Amino acid sequence: MTIASSTQQICFLVLSAGIVIGSLGVVLLENIVYSAFLLGGVFMAVAGLYLLLNASFVAAAQVLVYVGAVNVLILFAIMLVNKKEDLKPIKGLQLRRLLSGGVCAGLLALLIRVDITTTWKLPGPQAIGEQATERIGEHLFTDYLLPFELASVLLLMAMIGAIVLARRDILTNDIGTGESVKPGLIEKANTPLLIDKSSP
Amino acid sequence: MTMVTYQAKNLLAQVSAGLDLEVSFSQAMKGLGFSPQLAHILWLPLPMLLVLVAALIGVLVTVWLERKISAAAQQRIGPEYAGALGILQPMADGLKLLVKEDVIPAKADSLLFTLGPVLVLVPVILSWLIVPFGQNLLISNVGIGIFLWISLSSIQPIGLLMSGYASNNKYSLLGGLRAAAQSISYEIPLALAVLAVVMMSNSLSTVDIVDQQNNAGFLSWNIWRQPVGFLIFWICALAECERLPFDLPEAEEELVAGYQTEYAGMKFALFYLGSYINLILSALLVSVLYLGGWGFPIPVELLANWLNQSIDAPIIQIITGSLGIVMTVIKAYLLVFLAILLRWTTPRVRIDQLLDLGWKFLLPISLVNLLFTAALKLVFPTFFGG
Amino acid sequence: MLRFLKKVTSYASDAVKAANYLTQGLAVTFDHMRRRPITIQYPYEKLIPSERYRGRIHYEFDKCIACEVCVRVCPINLPVVDWVMNKETKKKELRNYSIDFGVCIFCGNCVEYCPTNCLSMTEEYELATFDRHNLNYDNVALGRLPTNVTTDPSVKALRELAYLPQGTMDPHDVPTTQTRAGKLPTEMLELMNQSSSKNKSNESVADSAQIEEKKKQ
Repeated sequence: MTIASSTQQICFLVLSAGIVIGSLGVVLLENIVYSAFLLGGVFMAVAGLYLLLNASFVAAAQVLVYVGAVNVLILFAIMLVNKKEDLKPIKGLQLRRLLSGGVCAGLLALLIRVDITTTWKLPGPQAIGEQATERIGEHLFTDYLLPFELASVLLLMAMIGAIVLARRDILTNDIGTGESVKPGLIEKANTPLLIDKSSP
Repeated sequence: MTMVTYQAKNLLAQVSAGLDLEVSFSQAMKGLGFSPQLAHILWLPLPMLLVLVAALIGVLVTVWLERKISAAAQQRIGPEYAGALGILQPMADGLKLLVKEDVIPAKADSLLFTLGPVLVLVPVILSWLIVPFGQNLLISNVGIGIFLWISLSSIQPIGLLMSGYASNNKYSLLGGLRAAAQSISYEIPLALAVLAVVMMSNSLSTVDIVDQQNNAGFLSWNIWRQPVGFLIFWICALAECERLPFDLPEAEEELVAGYQTEYAGMKFALFYLGSYINLILSALLVSVLYLGGWGFPIPVELLANWLNQSIDAPIIQIITGSLGIVMTVIKAYLLVFLAILLRWTTPRVRIDQLLDLGWKFLLPISLVNLLFTAALKLVFPTFFGG
Repeated sequence: MLRFLKKVTSYASDAVKAANYLTQGLAVTFDHMRRRPITIQYPYEKLIPSERYRGRIHYEFDKCIACEVCVRVCPINLPVVDWVMNKETKKKELRNYSIDFGVCIFCGNCVEYCPTNCLSMTEEYELATFDRHNLNYDNVALGRLPTNVTTDPSVKALRELAYLPQGTMDPHDVPTTQTRAGKLPTEMLELMNQSSSKNKSNESVADSAQIEEKKKQ
C-alpha cells in the first residue's frame, strides 16, 4: 500500500464518518440552527468525497451550490424567522417515531440489499480528472440538453411562483380562470402578510 | 487531489519552459540520497508554508499601507513611532490582539462562537492555492482554478452567519445576515464576469488565463478586452471583501461592529486577518484575470532577444521568475491602493441600494457582457480566444 | 421598442454620470494625499490661541463689586458670588467668588457684561483634572494667570491659521520675520488714530451739513 492510497483510505473513512454522523445530527438534534450548520458540514463532506473520486469540478460545484447557496438560504430563513415557541406535545409521538424509524430501517435494508446483490465493476471507469469540466459542458449541451432545459424551466417556474406568492398585491385576477379573486386574499402593499381583514 | 495535481504539475514541468522549483528541489534531494516519493512529501508543505507566510506579510504591509494612506488622504501623519515610518505598527497591533483576553460572552454559544472566525478565515487562505506568481510558482495548478476560488468564497457567509448567531446579540445577528445577503447577491455577477474571461482563455486554470494574456505585453491584457467585466469584478470583489462603499455588515454607525461586535483578542484577529487576506487575494486575482498576472508590460522574450540572451538561460529564468513575482505584487498593491483611496472617497451605500446595485445593475450588465463576449468570440476568434 | 431603447440610454447615461462623479471624488482624495499633514504634535508643539480666544475665565477679586450681573447674564447662573451686607458701611462685602468650569460653556457673557471689567477670558484651555470637582475654581484659582505658550521653553509654539502669512497653511518652518496677513492690532490702532486726527475737521463739516438738511425738511 503506497502512501497515496493509504491517505486516500483515511480520507474516505473520515469523510464517510463525517457524513453519517453529521446527517444523524441534522435529523436528531433539537436545535434547528445546529441542524442547518451540520447540513452544511455534510455537504462539505460530500464535496470531499467527490474530490477523492477525482471529480474536482463537481466538488467545487457542490460547495458553491449546496453550501454557498442552498445552505446559506436555509440558515437565512431560520434566522429571519427567529421565533422561540414551545412545541406542543404531539399525541402518540413514540408510535410516530417508531413508525418512521421502521420506514428508515426498511429503506436502509433495501439499499444494503441493492449494494450486495449488484455486481460492481471494479475498478470503476477511469476518472477523467481535469477534462471533466469540458466533458460535463459537452454533455449538458448535447445528449443531456432536454433534462438540462427542463430543470431550468422548472427552476424558473418555481422562482416566478415564489414571486407571485410573495407579492399577491399585484394580481387581482385569478391567472387560471380570469375571474376576480376574493378581495380578502389580496394583500395591500402595506398590510402585514397573512392577515385577513375582511373576515370578522 | 494531491496526486492529480502532482501528476498535472509534472506534466506541466515537462511541457512548459520556465522556473520550476519543485523539479530542482527533488533533484537536489535525489542527490542527497532520498527517494523521489520522500522528496515529494518533503516538498509538499514548503510552498504552502511559503504562501502562508507571504499572505501574512502581505497583510502586515496592507495594514501599514491602509493606515499611512488613510492618514495622507486626511492630512495626518499616521503611525510613526513603531519602527521607521511606523512599519512595525501592524506587528504591534497583532501582538496586542495576541495577548488580549479572549472573552466569550456568557450567553453566547461558545462552540459556534469559536468556529465562526475559523470558517471565515480558512476558505480565504485555501483560495491562495490557485494564485500564480509565475509559470510554476503556485501551490497547485488545479484544473478548476478560478472556480475553486468562487466556490470557496461562498463558504465564508456561513462563518459570518455562525458568528452572528452565536454572539447572541442583535447587532451581530443583523451584521451576519447582511454579510450573507451581500455575499450571495454579489457572487453571481462576480462569477459571470469571471466566466467571460474564462470563455476567452478556454480554461479555468489561472496559469492558462495569464498565459493567454501574455502574447503582446500590456496590449494583450484582458482589461482591454473586458473593461466592463473588470469594473464589475472589482465592484463585486470590494463587496465580497466588505470594503468601504459596501461595508454594511460592520457599519459602525448602526450596527456597532456587526458580527464582530462580541469578539476580542485572537478571534477578532482572525476576522481582521481574514478581511485583509481577502482584500489582497481579490487584488491578486484582479491582476491575474485582467492585468496579465506575472506578465511584464513589455514581453520578456522581446527584452531577452534585445539583450541577446536565450530565454532558457538559467540567469534569465531566475530574473524572469523574480520579475514575475514583483509584477504580480505590484499590480495587486496598486489595486489595494485604489481600494484604500475608494474607502476615503465613497460614502457607504444603504442596504436597499446595495441589493439594487447587485441585482438590478450588475447582474444584467454582467449577463450582457457575457453574451457580448460570446458573440465577439464567434466573430473575431483570433482576438477573443477561438 | 423605442421606449425600451430610451430607458436603456438613460440607464447608461446615469451609469456614466455616476462613474464621472466617482472619478471626481477620487481625484479630490488623491489631491489631498500630496498635501502636507496639518498635525500638531500636541504636548511638544502647541498652537498660539488667537487674541479673542475664549478660554478659562480670569477674575480679579479686588475689582469686583459683587453686583451679580455675571450671574444674571449667565445662561445657567453659574458664578457663585458669596457676599454679606456690612451693616456699618452699608456696602456689600465680597467673601468668595467661584466658577465651575466643568459646567461653564465659555460663552463669555459674564465677561461682556461685567461693569468693572474684573472678568476676562484667557487663552488657557488645558483644564483636564483627575476629579471633576477640581474644575470648580475659587477666586484664588481664578486669579492665576495662565502660562503663555510662547514663553514656555518646553513647548514649540506654532502660529494658528489666523497668524500665518497669506497663502501659508502649514505653521511649521515659517520664519518669524513673516508677519500674518492683514495688520496687527497695534498697527490698526495707529492707523485709526492717524485717520481720526486727519478726518476730524472734515467730519465736523459733514455733520453740520447734515443738520442743515434736516432743518430744511
